[in-house]
Amino acid sequence: MLKMKVLVIIPAYNEQDSIVSLIREVKEYGYDYLVINDCSTDRTDDLLNQNRITHLSLPINLGIAGVTQVGFMYACDHDYDCVICIDGDGQHLPRYMIDLLKEVENGNDYVVGSRFVNEKKPLNMRMLGSRLLCFLIRLKTGHKVSDPTSGMRALGKKVIQEFSRSMNFYAEPDALCHLIHKGYKVKEVQVEMKERETGVSYFHNPLKSVYFMLSVSLSIIFIQ
Amino acid sequence: MSSSLRLGLLIASMIAFSFVLFFVMNKKLNIKYSIVWLLWAISTLVMAIFPETFYQFSHLVGIEIPVNAVFLIMIGLLYGLTFYVYIMISKHNQEIIRLTYEVARLKKELEETKKK
Repeated sequence: MLKMKVLVIIPAYNEQDSIVSLIREVKEYGYDYLVINDCSTDRTDDLLNQNRITHLSLPINLGIAGVTQVGFMYACDHDYDCVICIDGDGQHLPRYMIDLLKEVENGNDYVVGSRFVNEKKPLNMRMLGSRLLCFLIRLKTGHKVSDPTSGMRALGKKVIQEFSRSMNFYAEPDALCHLIHKGYKVKEVQVEMKERETGVSYFHNPLKSVYFMLSVSLSIIFIQ
Repeated sequence: MSSSLRLGLLIASMIAFSFVLFFVMNKKLNIKYSIVWLLWAISTLVMAIFPETFYQFSHLVGIEIPVNAVFLIMIGLLYGLTFYVYIMISKHNQEIIRLTYEVARLKKELEETKKK
């Protein structure tokens, strides 16, 4: 089998503290990579330029869904066979890219890096949300998933093409549900994640988390 | 329909008409989108001038007081219009993402050629 053309996509919004060391680590694996700077207001852009890191600088702030879609468009235009998404805040460890990639090479269309394939889920508010989403996805598709909100994933060519064109994937859980429902081969791989070291999480705001849960749940139940 | 309501509709229609025209003239509203609002104003005018058709309609759908039929139709139309706006927003959203991508890509390519 020919070697796959792999692109690592790293969305970054105000990640000046973590981005350079993360990219240094990613570079060691020798895959093509692309940082997408979502109109950061801190020094992220300067750092990317100074360190000659391959990147796209978006002129306006699109938010995470838009940024990933831009990444998929880029991958489509440059004819990549596989895309690996890694967060710019350093919580996804690049060494697990190889495990994800291996599963794509084995013929899976969508491989999710999950924290809980072999590990037990802790009991806290976040994981309660995660459990609820697992339950909904199971209800809808009959498939068991363990970490629906994981943003570390690898996508095969068909999925990249579909995602770059469609406007209707909102976040990771409903994208996952959509793909399972449409009969793509989806697989979960055990990975470790670091706790966020710098920056502020989107879910810091309880109202936003409630809104997120609500929209994702409705999307899973009615749309995907 | 009382004569004061008819008068009110008449005035509202006039105001709406001049409002829309004003914005189109001042290049704040696209002609393409002004049409639906002009039709809106015209239909209000028709309602005010010929309320009989309206009585028949409200009788037909079983609404006792014709003014309620006015509300019903207005709300229905507004729903339709708002939904249309949402569709346009979704479309524009997607177009913005596409354009943002193209701009960023061109910027990247430009810088690469500059370095060479």
